[in-house]
Amino acid sequence: MQEFFQLPVFGVFISIIAFAGARELRKKFNYVLLNPVLVAIVFIISFLLIFNIEFEDYNRGGKFISFFLGPSVVALGVFFYEKYEEVKQNLKVFLLSVVVGGITGILTVIIFLLLLKVPGFIIESLAAKSVTTPIAIEITKLTGGIPEITAGIVIAVGIFGNAFGPFILKKLGIKSKIAIGTALGTAAHGIGTARAFEESKLAGVYSGLAMCVNGIITALITPYLLQLFLGGIS
Amino acid sequence: MLKALAYIFGFLLIGELITYFFKIPIAGNILGMFLIFLALRLKIVKLEDVKPASDKLIKYLVLFFIPYGVGLMVYFEIIADYWLPISVAVIASTVITLYVSAIIIEKFGK
Repeated sequence: MQEFFQLPVFGVFISIIAFAGARELRKKFNYVLLNPVLVAIVFIISFLLIFNIEFEDYNRGGKFISFFLGPSVVALGVFFYEKYEEVKQNLKVFLLSVVVGGITGILTVIIFLLLLKVPGFIIESLAAKSVTTPIAIEITKLTGGIPEITAGIVIAVGIFGNAFGPFILKKLGIKSKIAIGTALGTAAHGIGTARAFEESKLAGVYSGLAMCVNGIITALITPYLLQLFLGGIS
Repeated sequence: MLKALAYIFGFLLIGELITYFFKIPIAGNILGMFLIFLALRLKIVKLEDVKPASDKLIKYLVLFFIPYGVGLMVYFEIIADYWLPISVAVIASTVITLYVSAIIIEKFGK
């Protein structure tokens, strides 16, 4: 039976089925923890544990799915071009917000983790926690962290932003939908963007663009900031 | 659709080539994203030539990172050892990032 699970088609099939099933579940019950990605991942991990299947065996098929992250990041460039016109009038303020927010995100997480004495390889894995998963994974590969830890935490950050972001911001006195959208995209990438679209269409567009811009900024500066703070550790 | 896919993978390939030859610390796909944006802005590539593929890829973006999320199971014990400091640092950092980003638009946006 174990040899059967080593066939790539197993990993491909369970990924697609788990995701499709999780999306259906979300349609039936609109509850925030029923985030399709979270449900699909929990389902697959449970399945692997119950049937005693190694992650490496699952990933023989899984890697055919995750391969598409590369071209998807390129596709974000197309999305950015398409929506660029819609943010033109606020462009300078928008860019300022994403740049300052993005750098704040990297700096604060590095500093907090250092203060809490978390080992260097975890800091390297979490420095890019605010940006979209495919970009965060690439950054982690470059900085020497563990991409799987990055993926797990990035998804958790997205779900946190999706679930609590608008509530926290409104409590802190933020009224502008554009501000909420930009903040969600900067701090909580695509999963946050899904929530921004629920606030308003324009908030969603700002959020999607903020996700793209912060992806680039974080990719450019994270390696240097990590070197600055961790120095010889890695 | 084939043409659109060829463009997307073409730009990914160019991005990877630049990273490979110049050994710069930026992932090839991020360079590809930047280059395809430039090519569209400079009208070297037409939007309708790439849109069929890019729309589909973005639609299923979340599916593609599921295997990495599943990979977290391998590192479960490491995360479990540090779950509290990680949660505190990540949540605090996310709330600060949300606020800083939002307040700039709230104060200066139109």
